[in-house]
Amino acid sequence: MNAFFVWMTVAKIVAFVLFILTGGALMVWVERRLSAMMQDRVGPHRANLGRFRLWGLIHILADGLKMMVKEDFIPRRADRLLHALAPILAFFPVVVTFAVVPFGPTLDFAHLGAVNHEGPLFSGPWATTLQVATIDVGLLFVLAIAGTGVVGAVLAGAASDNRFSLLGSLRAASQMISYEVTLGASLVGCILVFGTLRIEQMVLWQHQHVWGILVQPLAFLLFLVAGIAESKRVPFDLPEGESEIVAGYFLEYSGMKFAMFFLGELMEIVVLAILLTVFFLGGWDVPFLFADGLHVDLPFLDTWVWNWPHGVVVLVQLLGFTVKVGAMVFLQMALRWTLPRFRYDQLMDLGWKVLLPLSLGNIAVTAVVLAALR
Amino acid sequence: MPYVVRRPDRNLWEQSYVPETVRGLGVTLRHFFRNVFGRRDTVTLLYPEQRRPYPPRFRGLHRLTQRDDGAPRCTACLCCQTACPAECIHIVAGEYPPEHPLAHVEKYPVEFWIDELRCVSCGLCVEACPCDAIRMDTGLHPRPVEARPHLIYERNLLLSISDTAGNVHTANPRKK
Amino acid sequence: MRKLTIDGREIEVAEGTTVIAAARALGIDIPHFCWHPELSVAANCRMCLVEVEKQPKLQPSCQLEAADGMVVHTDTPKVREARRAMMEYLLLNHPVDCPICDQAGECKLQDYYMLYDLKASRLWSEEGKVRKRKRAIFGPHVIYDAERCVMCTRCVRFCAEVVRDPVLIEVHRGDHSEIAVAPGRTLDHAYSLMTAHVCPVGALTSRDFRFQCRVWFLASTPTICPGCATGCNAFLDHHRGEAFRLRPRENPALNRSWLCDDGVLAFRLHNDHRLTAPELGRGDDARPVAWDEALAEAATLLRKVPKTQRAAVLSAEHSCEENWALAAFAREALGVERFFVTGRTAGTADDLLRHADKNPNRAGVRSMLGAEPEPLERLVDEATAGSIRGAVALGAAAATQGPAAAAGLLRLEALVSIAPRRGPLPEAAHVRLPSPSFAETAGTYVNARGQAQEFPQAMSPRGEALEVPDLLARLARRLDLGLPFRSAADVRAAVAPRLPRPAAEGGAP
Ligand code: SF4
Ligand code: SF4
Ligand code: SF4
Ligand code: FES
Repeated sequence: MNAFFVWMTVAKIVAFVLFILTGGALMVWVERRLSAMMQDRVGPHRANLGRFRLWGLIHILADGLKMMVKEDFIPRRADRLLHALAPILAFFPVVVTFAVVPFGPTLDFAHLGAVNHEGPLFSGPWATTLQVATIDVGLLFVLAIAGTGVVGAVLAGAASDNRFSLLGSLRAASQMISYEVTLGASLVGCILVFGTLRIEQMVLWQHQHVWGILVQPLAFLLFLVAGIAESKRVPFDLPEGESEIVAGYFLEYSGMKFAMFFLGELMEIVVLAILLTVFFLGGWDVPFLFADGLHVDLPFLDTWVWNWPHGVVVLVQLLGFTVKVGAMVFLQMALRWTLPRFRYDQLMDLGWKVLLPLSLGNIAVTAVVLAALR
Repeated sequence: MPYVVRRPDRNLWEQSYVPETVRGLGVTLRHFFRNVFGRRDTVTLLYPEQRRPYPPRFRGLHRLTQRDDGAPRCTACLCCQTACPAECIHIVAGEYPPEHPLAHVEKYPVEFWIDELRCVSCGLCVEACPCDAIRMDTGLHPRPVEARPHLIYERNLLLSISDTAGNVHTANPRKK
Repeated sequence: MRKLTIDGREIEVAEGTTVIAAARALGIDIPHFCWHPELSVAANCRMCLVEVEKQPKLQPSCQLEAADGMVVHTDTPKVREARRAMMEYLLLNHPVDCPICDQAGECKLQDYYMLYDLKASRLWSEEGKVRKRKRAIFGPHVIYDAERCVMCTRCVRFCAEVVRDPVLIEVHRGDHSEIAVAPGRTLDHAYSLMTAHVCPVGALTSRDFRFQCRVWFLASTPTICPGCATGCNAFLDHHRGEAFRLRPRENPALNRSWLCDDGVLAFRLHNDHRLTAPELGRGDDARPVAWDEALAEAATLLRKVPKTQRAAVLSAEHSCEENWALAAFAREALGVERFFVTGRTAGTADDLLRHADKNPNRAGVRSMLGAEPEPLERLVDEATAGSIRGAVALGAAAATQGPAAAAGLLRLEALVSIAPRRGPLPEAAHVRLPSPSFAETAGTYVNARGQAQEFPQAMSPRGEALEVPDLLARLARRLDLGLPFRSAADVRAAVAPRLPRPAAEGGAP
């Protein structure tokens, strides 16, 4: 473990934390602005710095400021420790998931200008993976961390001494536990196909073969649905159901504690988008782009190769990754402003009677097909 | 006859949810792209800068009209109190003393209270008044207050409010 | 007997009955102003015109005597047109100041206008109307508005025929005719408010009720006038817990259609000087307390007095039920043997309605006790002498007044007063317990003629007042003593057999 490795890891961590904090704030704006556009409204546009309104972007500052100076309210009979702990526990899984996702291939600072013929993942003294932690069980880690998300929600409701909060956390608990099953099961197909639990290897498989969505289309759908349910967004926003239980489990939070729930939830959208990208949309893979440059390889035509320097390739791949994540975020937002909320029985029916059998069936079919192909 | 709740007829295609969701997404996206790239469909009124004109018959805060000498036209007949569905008008009637210049009118409201918070702005009091003594042509909204009792308006306050043209007398030529 | 047909229905009436009365017996209400079942026929308003077969002209049904074989139609186009025309005449000079008129809502002009006229005036200007006196004070209780008057002369006939004091007269002629008080007089006999009551329009109105409440807000409950021992039948008109007036309720056997002025104003017994919370202490030390505290104090005080020196004061102002409950409580729980009676002091009587005893239920107290109660003076004497040291007293009025009586009552060591309002008895008491007014409880009065009349509850008790049986039950529990009744039903059952006569003829609702 050399100094370069340590410094790079620190740099990546810092970059991610900054990304999460600013990204979360940005997501507030994105969400409000997009929803306004989808609903024929104007959206935030009032906050200004003198004559500059910047399409409402200044609302981010205003919101942030407000969150910070707002009274930190704690209900009189709340459990103070758990009440304070809950937002941290809710925010934690979001941050930690970022640790294991590869947002790009390996970057070699020594050969930024040279054409790379070695392939996307390699090692060298000045090479670093574009991923904070590469671990053997990356995928299991993701699932495990996703599983802890429920703890924050439940604690928040239980510690708030408010019956709406409690109802919200009860709903959150049962909903998240129900859909976690599908969340995991839908990925089993991917594991079978990709033959690995390492996330960077999964992306590599897709880079070398085809995107996951083409071999596991059903799993993509299931994972998307279960993921949205996990992040408690429309049409699965029963734990917050404003019309019924005000704001659900974080009803009794204000100021920065509320902001942690709020940002955490918005970042969950990004996390889900990244996971979808990584598992099903080829991660950083950009069609026809390989480590050494563009390979246009169409049937009946000669292969056409255009070598790009290593740095440019990685840059384009990073860009590709970002575009995909953005698309997935947009998809989730559009879904939110399209669908009505489920009824509770419908929610449970969908989880246990539809999604779970489908995901199990998907595993069985995948396994049989793979066995037959072998 | 028993009432039959009709279940919506849905075929498997619609029931499978996914295609219909996609169709719905289509609607959402159509609006989105039209608003971002095309002509804007937003109907939002940017309130303090833009205002919707009030309709001429807008029912605003009440006012009590004055006689030429500033006394209330109201004769405390309690018709408005009777008509009010919100029961928000309370009047205490009194009698002008014999030497009073308005002694021929006999009756007047000693107290006249309207709870503007309870008022549902139906205008029935105005319809009911035989003397054109109560009107809602002020064009005003109840102003924000710090305590509910502040919106229980009292006789002299009501008498002092004018219509949109600044007139405190009746605006009905028949009642002159 | 005369047999005639009215609107296709046959009826047999006594000789001399008028058509309007016969129709009334059939439940057909022929519009009228000047006719009143208790007054002589004047036939001057012409509102009651009906069509009689074989008679060319319309006939005033109030004057027309029923004859055999007569066929009367009360609702033909011709009759309706006549009524419309009459209304137009009556309203010709009418000021239509309904907004300030107390009669509005129970005005025959308004009702008949809505039923038969419903046309705008053909008069081209208000200025053309004949103007007359307004706001003329006729007497202490009555005010007159000549412009509203329809000159039906009911008031004149009432004074002359019923009260036999012809103080009202008609003056002037035609458009200018009006009612006036006879020179040198005011309308101040004891039934002046009945003139306002018989006035079918807003010409004569009560000065007491003037501008107090619109009549359409009033709820009416049948009641017995608590003003004197005659026990006239009445309606109590009230709104939101406040009483506004008593109106006569027809009882041909008792008060016919009348009440005296004191009776009409007896509603004040409900409104004024009410005791609404339990109180302790006399004079300047008086302070309102919670029921628990008041009852505890009453029990402590009563316990200190030996049985033989305890007394109970019944009230001729209160119903049989309340008196029986107190008598039973005193006798069986407190061991009291001495019973006294209090009430308002006697007043004037006449041969029309008024009785000298201004209490509605003295006879009832006697029946409930099963013996003659001793007068209050004797209690005062014994208290002064020290032979009676404690008492439970019902009612606010003290039948004896003056400093000696007050001093005597003040010598009592334990005086627990149960009263709906303030008065000499409660003022002298150590503990004051609020009870319902006559309008807030159901009960029975026995009048001077020995007729028992029941009346229902009109309103719920004001403030913290408790029904007397309920209140006594709580006091008994404080004293750890048993009671011979548990509920209002027990009390009613116990009272019924003790009543002199089961409800009088033509009595109670
Ligand atoms: S507008 Fe309607 S609710 Fe308001 S005071 Fe008049 S009658 Fe009552
Ligand atoms: S209806 Fe008109 S005149 Fe009558 S009390 Fe109301 S405001 Fe006064
Ligand atoms: S007497 Fe009757 S019609 Fe005349 S002003 Fe009074 S209520 Fe109106
Ligand atoms: S009631 Fe017959 S004329 Fe007046």
